[in-house]
Amino acid sequence: MSLVSTPQQPASADYFQRSARAQHLSRFFAYLLFIVLTMIALYPLIWVATNSFKTDLQLFEHSWSLPKEWHWENYARAWKFGIAKYILNSVLVTVVAVLINITISMMAAYALARYQFKGRNLLLYFILGGLMLAPEVSLIPLFRILTTLKIYDTYLAMILPNVAFGLPFTTFLIRSYMLGLPRDYEEAAVIDGASALSVFWHVIVPLCRPILASAMLLDAMRVWNEFMFALTFIVSDNLKTMPLGLMSFAGALREQWTVVMAGIIISAIPMIALYLLTQKQFIRGLAAGGIKG
Amino acid sequence: MNRKFWTLISLLLVAALLLAACGQKPSGGESAATGPVTIRFFHKWPEPEHMEFYNFVIQEYEKTHPNVKIVMESVADEPYKDKIRVLMASGEVPDIYFSWAGEFSWKFARGGQALDLTDAVMNSDWKDKIILSAVEPYKWQGKIYGVPMRINAKFMVYNKAMFEQYGLQPPTTWDEFLAVCETLKQNGVTPIAFGDEFPWAASHYIGDFNAKLVDPAVRQADYLLTAPAEQLFTDPGYVEALSRFQLLMDKGYFNEGPNGISHSGARSSFIAGKAGMMYIELEEFVTVADGMGADAFGFFQFPSGTGGKGDQKLLTGAPDGFMVYSKTKHPQEAIDFLKFLTSPEMGKEYVKRLGIPSAAVGAVSAETALPIVVAGVESINTASGMALWLDTDINIKIVEVYLPGMQAVLNGTKTPQQVMSEVQEAAKTVQQELKNQ
Amino acid sequence: MTISRLFSARRLTPYLFLLPAILVMATFVYLPIIENFYYSLFRWSSIDPRFTFVGLNNYKRILSDSIITVSLRNNVLYAVISVFFQVFIALVLAAILEGRVIRPRWGSFFRNMLFLPSVLAITVVGITWQLIYRPDTGLLNQFLEGVGLGFLKRTWLGDEGTAIYSVIAVSQWQWVGYVMILFIVAIQAIPEELYESARIDGANLVSQFIHITVPLVRETTLVMTTITVIGAFKVFDIVWVMTAGGPNHASEVLGNYLYRVAFRNDEMGYAAAIASLLFIITFLLTFVQLRLGRSGEEV
Repeated sequence: MSLVSTPQQPASADYFQRSARAQHLSRFFAYLLFIVLTMIALYPLIWVATNSFKTDLQLFEHSWSLPKEWHWENYARAWKFGIAKYILNSVLVTVVAVLINITISMMAAYALARYQFKGRNLLLYFILGGLMLAPEVSLIPLFRILTTLKIYDTYLAMILPNVAFGLPFTTFLIRSYMLGLPRDYEEAAVIDGASALSVFWHVIVPLCRPILASAMLLDAMRVWNEFMFALTFIVSDNLKTMPLGLMSFAGALREQWTVVMAGIIISAIPMIALYLLTQKQFIRGLAAGGIKG
Repeated sequence: MNRKFWTLISLLLVAALLLAACGQKPSGGESAATGPVTIRFFHKWPEPEHMEFYNFVIQEYEKTHPNVKIVMESVADEPYKDKIRVLMASGEVPDIYFSWAGEFSWKFARGGQALDLTDAVMNSDWKDKIILSAVEPYKWQGKIYGVPMRINAKFMVYNKAMFEQYGLQPPTTWDEFLAVCETLKQNGVTPIAFGDEFPWAASHYIGDFNAKLVDPAVRQADYLLTAPAEQLFTDPGYVEALSRFQLLMDKGYFNEGPNGISHSGARSSFIAGKAGMMYIELEEFVTVADGMGADAFGFFQFPSGTGGKGDQKLLTGAPDGFMVYSKTKHPQEAIDFLKFLTSPEMGKEYVKRLGIPSAAVGAVSAETALPIVVAGVESINTASGMALWLDTDINIKIVEVYLPGMQAVLNGTKTPQQVMSEVQEAAKTVQQELKNQ
Repeated sequence: MTISRLFSARRLTPYLFLLPAILVMATFVYLPIIENFYYSLFRWSSIDPRFTFVGLNNYKRILSDSIITVSLRNNVLYAVISVFFQVFIALVLAAILEGRVIRPRWGSFFRNMLFLPSVLAITVVGITWQLIYRPDTGLLNQFLEGVGLGFLKRTWLGDEGTAIYSVIAVSQWQWVGYVMILFIVAIQAIPEELYESARIDGANLVSQFIHITVPLVRETTLVMTTITVIGAFKVFDIVWVMTAGGPNHASEVLGNYLYRVAFRNDEMGYAAAIASLLFIITFLLTFVQLRLGRSGEEV
């Protein structure tokens, strides 16, 4: 069956057979390898998921088996305890931060990809340099800046630093993509007398859609999972995002592990769903030139 | 182009500002005269049962004080230690905040973050309503900076059925204790459940050993850093303390890998009958009683210091209480709420709901608490005094050397002598820094 | 040329487009770095906000702080192991998935499944693995016991010898699939004819990998190596969630130690000095990468 893909084999019968056997073997091992890897990747979550339906006692006695009865009330308890609130906060912070970030990055990437101006390289490094910086370095001063701006312990205290530290990568992605775009449409638009902003809005943004989808997904993953800023800049339980909320949730429930496990599963579902729904576009966007070989 | 461009920018800004407004929590109520007074209240008990109690207190209080609004926040025990500091640094200090007693609270007083409550407590009926001895550890330079909410102490609890099965009696000396451990071990039972993932758990052991193995005056001078630099933490009792602790580990009297198990995880295995004893706080008695039945376990005072120069009648433990922010806009209201929270009425409610001893006078009785909890409180009352939790009783910079050192002793990667010489160094440095300030 | 021409809207356009990005970066990334250097010259704490000027003493202290040494060692370990798994292994896996050995439908299934861990929040991952590593009831020790490898059982997170490796392993679990996807994208961009002609010449899969795949994804490899290495020095959250640097500082990394010093030990000034150290390290690493890659124009 493997012959289909390799029709140009040398004619020698001996070689033909050996190579077919080798291909079978390598195919077998490749599948085996990836099945094992998939199990390693998924089993921890599956283990948490099955145990989230047990009682604590069952968890300790038989953590391998499927639950005997399904204790959905673990989920009800987790939900009631505020997981829903944390997820909602995460959605809000993620959506707003990603939108602001993408808008700003698009504009910056456009200027850097299409305009010739003094200090362009300097500004390019100014923005992309952020890729290399550890957010920890800024932590203590940031904290004081946010306090001075009176936005400590608000959504903005998470949104703004997240935008700032996400901006370099999204700008990098979008700019790389723009560099590969043909200039014809823009030139046509300029000849028609369109302003810079309308070229940007009506020509560039639509052309960039594939990379925007990928960049948004990558950025959303990052913001959704962000931990340190939320840990340091948020006190109110009502504002906590999911990563932090889950931590205080686990802390407050102490040893009620099955409920904590239910909470883990609830928290994991939104991002898994988002990825599985968008994965095709995601790969396409990246392939379309975001990251080059 | 420019106009459109700026429209875009300003739209963004408006969106951001709107969000900021949404996210803004009620600030300290700048218009105190007209609007309701907001008191921010921060503690370390986010567990659902505890939150229910505090919500109840707040509701009761707000009923009779319609002009006051209490805004409560809480984070769990371990994160509280950094969250309260983050809040101090941000300047968004809650009007009322939890603090452990001893050094942990004194540093707030030193840093000018705590309101002097001496007058409020001593010149009113408040002083008759709280157990005054529990106020002592909140005193700094003779002034009261904190008010206790509850009292707590550490005891060894044991599985009664197991002790009966192997013919064991609660030990009263260190040697007897070791013998009990040995018997349990010989019978294939883990003698002591111990979870030291967060090393405060080890510090409770060491604190107790220190209190009983080191002369009280010497220990006091070391903890307060008043001893001469060269003598700080040099008493051989400290090394002995760590050595006894090490012995428990080396003999296999603790479960395996305490550094990888949380305290509550270890407690679960004690409750499940997988260990003979555990060193726990009085506040945990109710959890254990819920898990294994109130009659299934007994307790005794840890006979850790037989033969030592310390006070053998000391009990390790401390009150838990609250402080008021020095720059609060509403000291009157904050103090009033705190008084309500620590009143005997609320104290009784606390004991009834949570089974944990309150520091209010008369709150713990046969009516409100389990017999074993009442007996625990009895022991506190007959103890010659309290040795505070080691990790909140000495300067944090020493703690940060001492506690990891205890984990290293458990792992066998450092000797007690090594740990103590590191502690001595840290103590010297801190003493010097405090002098320079 | 008049002033008005010089500042005409047309010339300003790119700057205006860049303005929001510059403002955000300046306020929330660069200004804090400068401030951080300033703060590192003082002794101050969150509780006692009085600043005492101490000059370079905080930096001197870094040199003699044994926990800094442990942290640096752990960061380096993190970097080396991560480069092996997240660059080398991820590239090999990507090559196998794209190497026609596995049918495309299964290929994309495997790809998505291996990617999944990377979408999980750090606390989801951290708490899950804490449960797996638990000495008594954890999945790992039970598994070892079950397959007859009971002698390998450890207190994974509580043992000074294994704590940091256990945390690093979780990072690999989470990120290998992520980098693999980026490599897949890069490999897909390689013209198919190159492989075809190699096959005609009788080159086997291994030599195709070495002679075609590796050289042609060089750019991605460089970028990924840089990001991985720098990421290994930035690491904070997974360590904080799983071990908080314990036991006995055995799993301390710079980011974690910095946070602890600032918000636990009441030494903000010293924490700022550690932050400066972190900044210098990442700066140097970036510089080295730029020199090695000479890909500065493209980045």
